[in-house]
Amino acid sequence: MTTNWLPKITLWRVIATLIFISGITATYMRFALGFARSTNLSDPQPWGLWVGLGTLCGVGLSAGGFAIAAAVYLLGFERYRPVLRTAVLVSFLGYSTVVTGMLYELGLPWRLWHPIVMWNRHSVLFEVSWCVMLYTTVLALEFSPALVEKIPWVRLRDLYLKWHHEILIALVMIGTLLSSMHQSFLGGLYLITKGKLHPLWYTPYLTTEFYLSAIPAGLAVTIMALYLSMRSLNAKVDPAILAEVSKVIAPLLALWGLFRAVDLITRDAVSYLFQWREETLSFWLEMGLFVFVPLLLLTRDKIRNNPQSLYWTCAIVVMGFMTNRLNVSITGLQASSGVYYIPKWQEFAATLAVLTAAVVAFRYAVIYLDILPKNPPRQRWLANATAEA
Amino acid sequence: MENTRAILVDITKCIGCRSCEQACKQLHGFPQQTELKLSPTAFTIVEEHGDRFVRRMCMHCQDPACASACLVGALHKTADGPVTYDASKCIGCRYCIVACPFSVPRYEWAKLVPYVKKCDMCAERQLKGQQPACVEACPVQASISGTREEILIEAERRILNDPKYVHHIYGSDEAGGTSVFFISDVPFEKLGFVAAPKQPMPVLTANALGDTPTVILMGGALLSGLYWITQRRAEVALAEGHSPQGLTKERQD
Repeated sequence: MTTNWLPKITLWRVIATLIFISGITATYMRFALGFARSTNLSDPQPWGLWVGLGTLCGVGLSAGGFAIAAAVYLLGFERYRPVLRTAVLVSFLGYSTVVTGMLYELGLPWRLWHPIVMWNRHSVLFEVSWCVMLYTTVLALEFSPALVEKIPWVRLRDLYLKWHHEILIALVMIGTLLSSMHQSFLGGLYLITKGKLHPLWYTPYLTTEFYLSAIPAGLAVTIMALYLSMRSLNAKVDPAILAEVSKVIAPLLALWGLFRAVDLITRDAVSYLFQWREETLSFWLEMGLFVFVPLLLLTRDKIRNNPQSLYWTCAIVVMGFMTNRLNVSITGLQASSGVYYIPKWQEFAATLAVLTAAVVAFRYAVIYLDILPKNPPRQRWLANATAEA
Repeated sequence: MENTRAILVDITKCIGCRSCEQACKQLHGFPQQTELKLSPTAFTIVEEHGDRFVRRMCMHCQDPACASACLVGALHKTADGPVTYDASKCIGCRYCIVACPFSVPRYEWAKLVPYVKKCDMCAERQLKGQQPACVEACPVQASISGTREEILIEAERRILNDPKYVHHIYGSDEAGGTSVFFISDVPFEKLGFVAAPKQPMPVLTANALGDTPTVILMGGALLSGLYWITQRRAEVALAEGHSPQGLTKERQD
C-alpha cells in the first residue's frame, strides 16, 4: 500500500493512465459530438461493440456471482464459500460497467429511468432492463457486509449485519431467479432477428444457449480475478480452491458444445459448417476457444492444479465466450445488413476505460476490504462457515 | 382489423417521377433533394431496379416487430392501421431497428439528441379523412389507399385478371401481414424485397418470454425446495452425528 502522497510510477499505472486519457477523449466525443463522430454505427448495424462487448459480454462474464452464491447457499456446496465474496464483487463491478456502458450506448441516456414507469411487457429488452436493475441492487446488498463491517459504530454495524443475515437466503434466491431470467433473455433479444441472423447462430433456443454459456464464463472470470489478486497483491489464495472451481467448467462447456451440436443438426444447419465464409470461420474460432481447447486443457490435473496454466485456460474460455457473443451480435448479422462494421477507436477506448475503472475498483476493494479467501470474515454470523479456512 | 387503413403500390404502374418522395418531404419540411436510401429525412424513396421503380417505406405490420421490441412502448400500432412513434418515450436503444424484418426505421446518428425516424402513414391526415401525402401526390395512381379489406380485394382482382402479374401480394403474409402491399410483374426477390418470415414477428419472442409471473413462482418454488433439501441434509447429518462437512449450517444464533 502506498503511503506517499505521490503515487509511484509503474508500468501498469502508465498503461492505466493512457487508457483513461483515451477513454475520456472518447467520452467527450460521444457526448459532445454524437454517435456519427464517435462510432461506426449505422442503420444497417445499429448495435455494435458497446452492445456486443459492453452489454452481452459484460453481463455474461458477471455470472460468477450468482452461480457461486446459489451453489453455496442453495445447494450447500460449502467448499466454494471462500471465493464467494470475490465472485460477488466481480459480478457487482461487472454489472456496474454494464450500466455505465448503457449511458454511452443509449441515444438518450438521461431517459435511462423510462422503463421503470413506461412498461411494455411484450419486449424482451424490457424484461432484461428490469432484471438488470433489480439484480444490480441485489448484488449491492449481497456485497454490502464487506463495507458495513468496516463501520466503526458497533451497534449500527451489528444491526445491519443481523438484518442482512436474515434476508440473505431470500436475496440469493431472488438473485438466482433474476440472473437465470436475464442471462437467457439476452439471447432472447435476438429471437426477433429471424431471417437476419445467420443460421449458425439463429435458433429458437438462443435463450438456453446464452444461459448455459454464461455460467462457465462467469466462473472463469472469478478464477482469473483470484489468480490476479495472488499475483499482483501477494494474496495467499489456496490454489486448491481455484482447481476446485475449475472442475465445474469443463462439464458445463461440454454440455454447451453438445447442446449446440444437437441444435445445429436438428435445424439442418450442418451444411453451413463447411463453407469458406467469414461466418463459418468465426464459428469454428468460437467452438475452438470455448469448447475444444478448454476441454482438452481442463481435463488435465496438471493444468488445473497449476494456477498459472489454469489462469490462461480461463482466459481462453473468456475469449471463446466473447467470440460467441460478438458472433451473435455482429458477425452473424453482417451478411443481412450489407455493411462491414469495424468499430471506431472511440468505441474501443470507451469500453476499455470503463473496464479498467472496474479493475482498479476491484484492486482497491480487495486491498481495503476483507474479500479474498486469505482474509476470511470472522464475524459471529459467519463464524462457523469459515472456521476451517 | 380489416377496416384499418392500407396502401397498395402497383409496381407495373410506377413511372419513377418521385412525386411521392417530394410530397412526403414537403409535408415533413425536409430538404427537397432526392436520396437513394431511406433516411431520417426520407421516409419513402423510389429505387430503380432495371426498368422498374420500387417505392420503399414502412410496411405498417399488423403485429409489428418494432412495437413488440420497444421496451418503453414508444412504437404503437394504432387502431386505424398506422404504426406510430412517440418520441417523448424513446430512450434511444435502437432495438426497433434491430428487430424490423424490413430494415425500415432510421436513426439520427448525426444529432446530439437523436430520435428514430420512419413513415407514420400520415396518421394525422388519415384521421381527418385525407389520403397519405404520397398517395395523393401520385399522378398515375401507382399508389392507392383505402381500407385494408378494399385494398386486398383490389390487389387480388388485378393479379387474377392480368397474367403479367406475379401471383403474390407482397405484404399479405410477410411478417404475419402488413398494411402496405406491393404487386409486381417482376419476381419480388429481383426487386430487392426481403424474404421476411411468414409469421408475426412478436410470436418469436413471446414464447421465450413465457409468462413472467409463472416463471417467478415456479422458479421460486424450485429454489426454495432445493434450499430446504440442503438444510434438511445438514440437519440429518448433524442428528446422525456426522460432521456436517460440505453442507450448510445456517441458523447459528
